[in-house]
Amino acid sequence: MGAILEVKGLTKRFSGLVAVNNVSFRVGEGEILGLIGPNGAGKTTIVSLISGTLRPTSGVLRFAGREIQTLPAFRRAQLSIGRTFQVMKPFPGLSVVDNVAVGALFGSGGGHSDLSGAREAARHWLDFVGLAHRADQHADSLGGPDRKRLELAKALAMKPKLLLLDEVMAGLNLVEIDEVIEVVKKVRAEGISILVIEHVMKAIQRLSDRLMVLHHGEKIAEGHPDEVLNDIHVIEAYLGRRRV
Amino acid sequence: MRKALPWILPPLVVVILAALPWFASPTIIQFGISTLILATLSQSWNIIGGYTGYASFGNSVFYGLGIYGTAVAMVQFGLPFWVGMLVGGLLSVVFAVLLGLPVLRLRGHYFAIATLALAQVMSAIVSNVQVAGGNQGLVLPLFRGDKMFYELALGLLVLATLTVFWLSRSRFGFGLISIREDEDAAAVMGVNTTYYKVIAFALSGVFTALAGGIHAYWITFVEPESAFDITLNVKMIIMAVFGGPGSVFGPIVGAFVLQSVSEILATKISSLAGLFFGLVIVVAVVFMPKGLIDLRKRIGRLGWRYFTRNVKENRL
Ligand SMILES: Nc1ncnc2c1ncn2[C@@H]1O[C@H](COP(=O)(O)OP(=O)(O)O)[C@@H](O)[C@H]1O
Ligand SMILES: [Mg+2]
Repeated sequence: MGAILEVKGLTKRFSGLVAVNNVSFRVGEGEILGLIGPNGAGKTTIVSLISGTLRPTSGVLRFAGREIQTLPAFRRAQLSIGRTFQVMKPFPGLSVVDNVAVGALFGSGGGHSDLSGAREAARHWLDFVGLAHRADQHADSLGGPDRKRLELAKALAMKPKLLLLDEVMAGLNLVEIDEVIEVVKKVRAEGISILVIEHVMKAIQRLSDRLMVLHHGEKIAEGHPDEVLNDIHVIEAYLGRRRV
Repeated sequence: MRKALPWILPPLVVVILAALPWFASPTIIQFGISTLILATLSQSWNIIGGYTGYASFGNSVFYGLGIYGTAVAMVQFGLPFWVGMLVGGLLSVVFAVLLGLPVLRLRGHYFAIATLALAQVMSAIVSNVQVAGGNQGLVLPLFRGDKMFYELALGLLVLATLTVFWLSRSRFGFGLISIREDEDAAAVMGVNTTYYKVIAFALSGVFTALAGGIHAYWITFVEPESAFDITLNVKMIIMAVFGGPGSVFGPIVGAFVLQSVSEILATKISSLAGLFFGLVIVVAVVFMPKGLIDLRKRIGRLGWRYFTRNVKENRL
């Protein structure tokens, strides 16, 4: 299986604090890689380094065989890397459908050139995530769960080859979590590779092909989800700490 | 039929405004020229401030460059008026690109302060440039033709408004709006934010500079202090915000309403005019922070609740 993303020796320093420390991993073509770790482990920072929101202190990022660590965020988006934000970033003054249309207008390969085509595509993705009935409302009138769906639809409308999901299930109830799990499975069925960050263990277990654990910015485990989760329980018991 | 009316309205208003100088008194025409110029400035500011979300205090620099580009070209080099306008427009584009690149990296208050400083610096520079006449300023050739200035100003306003209309329904405009709404989110969705911001700044600058050129030839006298006047920049912002920033017609409505109010106040109660003007603006910002255009859209549905809701939402 070829790798869509290869990360080598990725490091990010914030004036003294090392948020990500020499992390290497790969995401296979069509694979779902789970990423877990306690709050502050550096998960969101890794997503920002891959999407270009942050620049790495050192390390190499190779996407579809091409080095991207020096490219600005918009170029990486055009190369078809999509992300969601844990702290959601809707365009509050725009309607829900126009929020998503921005992804269709720009996104992968430069996207649609006309507004009506982009809006049509946006409606498709709203339907895909189960938000079609809210299409014409203002984004700032959406509640928490629907905002999560909107984040997802915005990223999908970019037609990404690699999708980075940063806690899209946080704050959802069990029914909603099941719905989003189904959506993510549908996304994978479209051939999109996914890096998924989640605290919801059930979701991580059901979705991930492989799982990686981050702690204090360092990778401490990687492998088959069942084995890794098993190891984590051992570690937790040993250290007497909850919530990895 | 009811839906078709708003589409017919703007061209109809343009035709009526264009015909006005053949019926109106010279005083009205003069009021028209200055109001049309202000509306153009407010509409230009709308591109960078209203659509892109960058509250520029540097637009008075574009205005000054347009004024001096035209004045220097005509007075010192004896070039025709339209060449002067072209010079002013080109200067403003160069300025927008050279200074926009570093300054547009700053966000929020920092951008506002940096552009404010630029306006001061430019005024000081021009005061010391020989070819610009220094502190004494320049006197342009006299051209008596208020009708022409009026039609020119109207034409420029129409051009600026057509541009903004295009922004409101194009891919490029959506790029600007997404930057205003959330620049980080726009970037990871593929918007080349730096390029978009600089183009928006330059577009805003060109229309502002052309308006400056018309003003210079109309007034026939230019000097640094009034050319780079920051209170004019504040006026552009107030008019755009009062009318509805980020809308196609808001800044024009804002300019016409506020100009009329201040004109009436000035003739009736000149000493208190400034105070009343300020009061109108404070009340407007508190009760209708999204401007007149938003008020017109939603007052029918919400009635008086429109105002109370605004006050609550803004935690005043
Ligand atoms: N922009 C930033 N500036 C300074 N420190 C940051 C910044 N972003 C994250 N950090 C710090 O880096 C560490 C990792 O944060 P983050 O990647 O958000 O963790 P996680 O997503 O795993 O909870 C934390 O200690 C956080 O405080
Ligand atoms: Mg996080």
